[in-house]
Amino acid sequence: MAVVLALAPALAGDELSVFAAASLADALEEVAPAFVALSGPRPVFNLSGSNDLARQIAAGAPADVFLSADAAQMDVVERAGRVRAADRVELLSNTLAIVVPADSTLALGRPSDLPRAGRLALADPQAVPAGVYARAWLEAQGLWPQLAPRVIPTLNVRAALHAVETGNAEAGIVYRSDARLSRRARVAFEVPREQCPRIVYVVAPVADSPRAGTAAAFVRHLRSPQSSRVFERHGFLVPEAR
Amino acid sequence: MLTADDLRTVLFTLQVALAGTLLILPPGVAVALALARYRGPGKSVLETVLSLPLVLPPTAVGIALLEAFSGASPLGRWLAERGLEVVFTWKGVLLATSVMSFPLLVRSARTAFEEVDERLVGLARTLGCSPLAAFARVTLPLAWRGILGGTVLAFARALGEFGATIMVAGNIPGRTQTLALAIFHNHQLGRDERAAALAGVTAGLAFTALWTAEWAARRRAAGA
Repeated sequence: MAVVLALAPALAGDELSVFAAASLADALEEVAPAFVALSGPRPVFNLSGSNDLARQIAAGAPADVFLSADAAQMDVVERAGRVRAADRVELLSNTLAIVVPADSTLALGRPSDLPRAGRLALADPQAVPAGVYARAWLEAQGLWPQLAPRVIPTLNVRAALHAVETGNAEAGIVYRSDARLSRRARVAFEVPREQCPRIVYVVAPVADSPRAGTAAAFVRHLRSPQSSRVFERHGFLVPEAR
Repeated sequence: MLTADDLRTVLFTLQVALAGTLLILPPGVAVALALARYRGPGKSVLETVLSLPLVLPPTAVGIALLEAFSGASPLGRWLAERGLEVVFTWKGVLLATSVMSFPLLVRSARTAFEEVDERLVGLARTLGCSPLAAFARVTLPLAWRGILGGTVLAFARALGEFGATIMVAGNIPGRTQTLALAIFHNHQLGRDERAAALAGVTAGLAFTALWTAEWAARRRAAGA
């Protein structure tokens, strides 16, 4: 017991707690080492649906940086007083893709084909950004009323991808960046950018963090050209104007 | 305070828990009796394996069931070809809750059977009872309270199961969402009042089940 207590501060000591949207998992793992090499503290990622993370931070979770997949969830954290409006930065964008299991024989080429898929996996369209975006797109296409009863809502976008990979859903809507990762699911078609709702990833250091300086440095690191290249390689879009 | 959707969730949860309990009752009692009577090698290993879902994280049971029944597995594909889809359907809820509550029933029933004096069963047999009649007229009446206790515990477990259910059946409002999942989901959506109301309903149901069982057992004991 005493040993555990003695170790606890050492373990928690020099780490930066980054709460980030699940879709960023792989890209963040890749940009982290360069940050560690520069300034020391190791970023530890808490990856989940942004709505889940926003609730945790609003409830007082010890986060140093929040990286949300939409503005609405950053608003939640800002309203809770844990992020300053002036500190928010639009980091990335993305588009949506329709995925099917790699061995699927389903012919899905355009939105109006979607009702052919039996079950459609989405991140929870009531709250998780990826699902909220997908729902907005389906609503704009006039397909939502027809598809809503077949939606399998998942905790985050990666879970929706996984449901498709395992064949437990015939199709799913995920970010283009997620779709690229998968070997067991393939892209049936991408949502054209002009149809796609504006997807924005917002990042901000948590204002009351005891590591606020390091948090701000990490946000700067995420915006560096070096990190941007990593994000682009993973299929994210980096806004032009910086 | 509860909406029509909430009431449907309550009803669905009760239906699945009840169906699951009835489903596991015959095999549960049979396995319990076999374990109580079996004296051969491997008894303790067998008992431990059967109790595993009690101590494993429900998510571990969930991933095992998901691997076995998913559309990507041979069994899952075989079932799907016959129109039986388990993952993300109410059948998945039934499967997950049944597997999780099975050991509770077996443990209680086994203990009850072990406490039945085998000489009484032997006596019934010498008086001309068939094995089945001896079981129905001697063993079962004596072990009845333990079996009922286990059944109620299994039912209560099925009411509250979360981890295995969410992995196998997902969390689909109106289709696979049980009370335990609805509490979590409402919390996720920031509707803590509704989550709390549903938690209250769950507590009420669990209390009623446990209390009824106690009451029935006591009445039975007094009458016997």
